[in-house]
Amino acid sequence: MTIQSLIGCTTSNKRGALPASAALLVSFVILGAVLLVTPAAANIASEPGVKSQSAKSVKSDTKCLKCHSRDREKKLEDGDVLSLHVAKAEYADSVHGEIGCTSCHQALVGKKHPSREPIASRREHSLALNQSCRSCHAENFEQYEHSIHASLVAEGNQSAPVCTDCHSAHAVESMAVYQPVTGLPCKNCHENIFDAYAQSVHGGARVKGNVIRDSHIQAPICSDCHQAHGITAVAASDYLQSTCLDCHEGATVAHKEWLPNAGLHLDVITCAVCHAPMAEHRVNLVLYDNVARLPVGQNESDTLFEERLRAIDEAGDGLDPVELWKLVRANDRDGQATDVTLRGRMEVSTGSEAHQLSVKASAVRNCDSCHQKGSDAFENVTVSISRPDGRKIRFDADKEILSSMVSVDTVGEFYVLGGTRIKILDALLVLSLIGGLAIPVGHIALGKILKNKPQEGDQ
Amino acid sequence: MQTIPAEHFRHDETSRHDETYINPLPVRIWHWANALGFILLILTGFQIRYVGILNLLSFETAVKTHNWVGFAVIANFLIWIVFYLFTDKIKVYHPELDAKKFFLNFFQQARFYSYGIFKGEKSPHHVRPHDKFNPMQSMTYQILMLMVIPVQFFTGILMWDVKRFEDVIEMVGGLRVVSTIHILVFILFVFFILVHAYMGALGHKPSTHYKEMFTGYEED
Repeated sequence: MTIQSLIGCTTSNKRGALPASAALLVSFVILGAVLLVTPAAANIASEPGVKSQSAKSVKSDTKCLKCHSRDREKKLEDGDVLSLHVAKAEYADSVHGEIGCTSCHQALVGKKHPSREPIASRREHSLALNQSCRSCHAENFEQYEHSIHASLVAEGNQSAPVCTDCHSAHAVESMAVYQPVTGLPCKNCHENIFDAYAQSVHGGARVKGNVIRDSHIQAPICSDCHQAHGITAVAASDYLQSTCLDCHEGATVAHKEWLPNAGLHLDVITCAVCHAPMAEHRVNLVLYDNVARLPVGQNESDTLFEERLRAIDEAGDGLDPVELWKLVRANDRDGQATDVTLRGRMEVSTGSEAHQLSVKASAVRNCDSCHQKGSDAFENVTVSISRPDGRKIRFDADKEILSSMVSVDTVGEFYVLGGTRIKILDALLVLSLIGGLAIPVGHIALGKILKNKPQEGDQ
Repeated sequence: MQTIPAEHFRHDETSRHDETYINPLPVRIWHWANALGFILLILTGFQIRYVGILNLLSFETAVKTHNWVGFAVIANFLIWIVFYLFTDKIKVYHPELDAKKFFLNFFQQARFYSYGIFKGEKSPHHVRPHDKFNPMQSMTYQILMLMVIPVQFFTGILMWDVKRFEDVIEMVGGLRVVSTIHILVFILFVFFILVHAYMGALGHKPSTHYKEMFTGYEED
C-alpha cells in the first residue's frame, strides 16, 4: 500500500463519471487499498493508547502535499525561518503515512490556509503542535508529561525534547527502528552516555543479540531501563536499581551469598559503583524528611531548604559539618522544629560512567577498595536536595563531614566501616592504648620509687 | 559471711601443699574461651577499622571472623549468665552485701595496689573459692559483664544485619550512633585487656594468677 496509489485514485475520480467497467475496476482498487491499509492501521492501533484513525482524512493529504512537497519557508518572529517542506516519500512511508495531515495539524481544519498568523519561533511551533500527539497517543503522552523531559520543557529549556525531537515530525518510524543499537534517538542529546553504553556489557550483548539466560529477554537498550516516555531523573529514587533487579532477578540472593550486609549495600550503593569498575565515585548526602519519609523537596513545592543551602554555600567553598548541623536543626518557616537528616548513597560521578557496565567477572569485589580511609568515594562529597520531578540540586560538601563527630547527628544513617571513621574516636583509641601501656609502666615506676624511699626511722 | 559448701565444687576445696583450688576446669575453659574471643574481636576490630594501615587479614575475612567470633562470645556470655543466675555461684560476685563494708574493702584494695604492694604488705583480700574476687575485681567484672558487654552485643548484632534491624537502629538514632557506641566500648575493652593482663601479674609472684587460671590452684 502506498499513499500515492490512493492519491491517484481520488484524483481520477474527480475528473468525471466513469463507465461501469471502470467504476468496477476503481472499486476493486479501493477495496484492495482498504485491505492493505487495514493491517497497517491495526499495527498502529496495537500500540498502547493509540486510537485508530479514519482513512478518509487521507484524501486531504493530496491537497496539502501539493504545496508542501515544494520548498517553501515561513519567516518567524524571531528572525528564523521555518521550512514548510514535507518529504512526500518519507511521510508516505512513515507510520503516520496513513492517518492524514490534519490528524496532527488539527488547528488548520476549518481555517483559512495558508494563514498569515505569526509564529514566534520554531520551538514555539513545536510546542504548540506537540499537544496534537496526545489525541492518539494519550497513554504515552501522559507518561511523557510526568517525565524529566517534560519538566525541562516546562522550565523553558530550549534543548529539552518534545515528541518530534525523538520521533521526527513527518518521517515517524515504527518502534522497531529503535530496537537495534543505533543510538537513535537518545544519542542526539546524550552522545557520551550512549557511547559508554555501546561499549558496555549491555551494548555488546545487544549487538550480538544475546538473551538473558533462558528468559529470552534481550540485553537492554536505553528505553528498557529508562522507559521510552516516562523518563525519570536517574538519581530520583531506587527506581533504576529495581530496574536492574527486574532482569537480574537472582542478584540479591547472589550478593547475600558472599557480601555481609548485602541488603544494606544494595540500598545505599548504586549498581554501577561496583559494576563499572573504572568509574570514579562520590558520596551523595540526600536531605531527607523523616516525617514525610521522602527526600526533602521531592513531594513539595516549599523551597526552604534549597534557599538555605544556597545561602550557606554562597561562597561555593563547600558545606562544612557545622553548617549542615545548623541546617538540619533549623526550624521551618512557621518556627516549628523540623525532622530532617542526611542519608548517604554511593554513586558514580558521571552519567557516562554509570553506563560503563562491565562483565560480572570484572566487578569490584574487593571490599578494601571502599572500606578504607582515603577511598575516592569519600574524597568527593555532595549534598543534594530533590525537586518534585526527582532531579537533584547538588552542593559540594567538605569531605570532613564524613569523619566529624558532629555528623553522628546529621549523617546518622550513613556510615562505612573503615571508610568514614570519626577522627576523635581514633584519638580516643590511641589514648586508650597509651593509657593501657602507661598504667603498667607507671605502676612499676611507682613501685621502684616507693621501694627506694627510706621509711620513717630508717635513719 | 556465708560460705559456699565445698561439695558445690566439682573438686573439693582441698589443699595441695599451700595451694587452694579456686577455679574448676569449666570455669577456666570459659575464661580462656572468653579471653580468646575478646582478643580475636579486638584484632579483627582493628583490622576492620584500619584497612590500609593494618594488613593482617582482608576486610572481608576480618568482618566474617568478627561476626562468627562475636556470636561465639555471645553464646559464652549466655552460658555465664545462666550459670551464675541459676546456681548459688553468683555469691562469688557478692560475698559482701554490706555496701559500706564493700566500699571500705574496695579502697583498702586500691591502697594496696597503689602503695602496700610495694612495701611488701599482703593483699587485704584472701582468695577463697566462694570469695575469689577482690572488691575491685568484683565491681569491674560486674560493670563489664552486666552493663558494658550487653551494650556491645546489642550494637554488634544491629550492625551485623543493618537491614533486618533498621527500625531498631533508627530508634537508637541511626547507624552512626550505633557504630560510635560500639567503637567507644571497643576502646574501653582495648584499655581493659591491657590493664587486666598487667594486673593478672600482681599476685604473690607475677606468675601466680596466670598459673591459677591454667591449673585452678591459687598459691596461698
